[in-house]
Amino acid sequence: MKNQLKVLRAMRSWSQADLGEHLDVSRQAVNAIETGKYDPSLPLAFKISRLFALPIEEIFDDEFEGAHND
Amino acid sequence: MTNLKERTMTDADEMANNNGRRMLWVIVSGLGIMMTAGAVAGYLAAHEAQGGGALGTAGIVTLCVCAAIITGLAFAIWRNVSKMKASNEGLTRREKLNRNMIYGFLLVGGAIGLLPAFYDTSVGNSDTGPALIFADSPMPPVMALMLVFFWAVIMPIIAWFWHKRAIDEQEASAYREGGYYAAYAFLIGAPMWWILWRGGFAPEPDGVAIFMLFASIWTAVWLWKKYR
Repeated sequence: MKNQLKVLRAMRSWSQADLGEHLDVSRQAVNAIETGKYDPSLPLAFKISRLFALPIEEIFDDEFEGAHND
Repeated sequence: MTNLKERTMTDADEMANNNGRRMLWVIVSGLGIMMTAGAVAGYLAAHEAQGGGALGTAGIVTLCVCAAIITGLAFAIWRNVSKMKASNEGLTRREKLNRNMIYGFLLVGGAIGLLPAFYDTSVGNSDTGPALIFADSPMPPVMALMLVFFWAVIMPIIAWFWHKRAIDEQEASAYREGGYYAAYAFLIGAPMWWILWRGGFAPEPDGVAIFMLFASIWTAVWLWKKYR
């Protein structure tokens, strides 16, 4: 899933290890999320959202463009 | 003005992202050293069996080539381990715990593997040496009980702690995925081997070989998904 994690991290001048420490995950996890190779769980997505004080949908883009049915 | 990659990747990040490849090199080089050393031992044993004496030019050249291969592989291990150590400066708390647990586990595994090399583990005409662990021949009861205790009591405790404290969700996902691949390989491969054996097309299924294949596939997929 595309996301803004790398940009948000750069704005704070954090390394992947710094972000990993904030989120209590490894650098591999941060790298895998940033490169779209791994989609975080909902709890981790909320943690990221709280850390950057942004809504989840502003950080992650599921590229859904269809209209809602309801 | 620095680009985004320069701003977002520290040296330690960049180095850590190559650790999977380095670890693979270390494993392959280690196996290469063992196989080359085995070839040297086999060559010398065959030479001894044929009457021994001074080695001819071909023998000396063969041993020199093997020595050069072992030296080259040892250098590759040293170089990759040095780079992995350097990248460890920026490890997160979880990563440090994970790394220490894996190192500890490798040490214990290595010690168990080497146990038969230092103690007389033969029972009757059974196999001896490090290969005893994976052989079908009888082993001393005390050693069997020690191994079972480690595998059935110590291992689950370490595994529980590792899953709960050391790994994060990305590694847990990689580990689960490795389990899926290994489970399907087992579900498809084991009955296939059994049926082929019954049909006279294959040797009798070997439980140890099946276990080793299962564990190897699981580990390979786990590391691939973790570091890719």
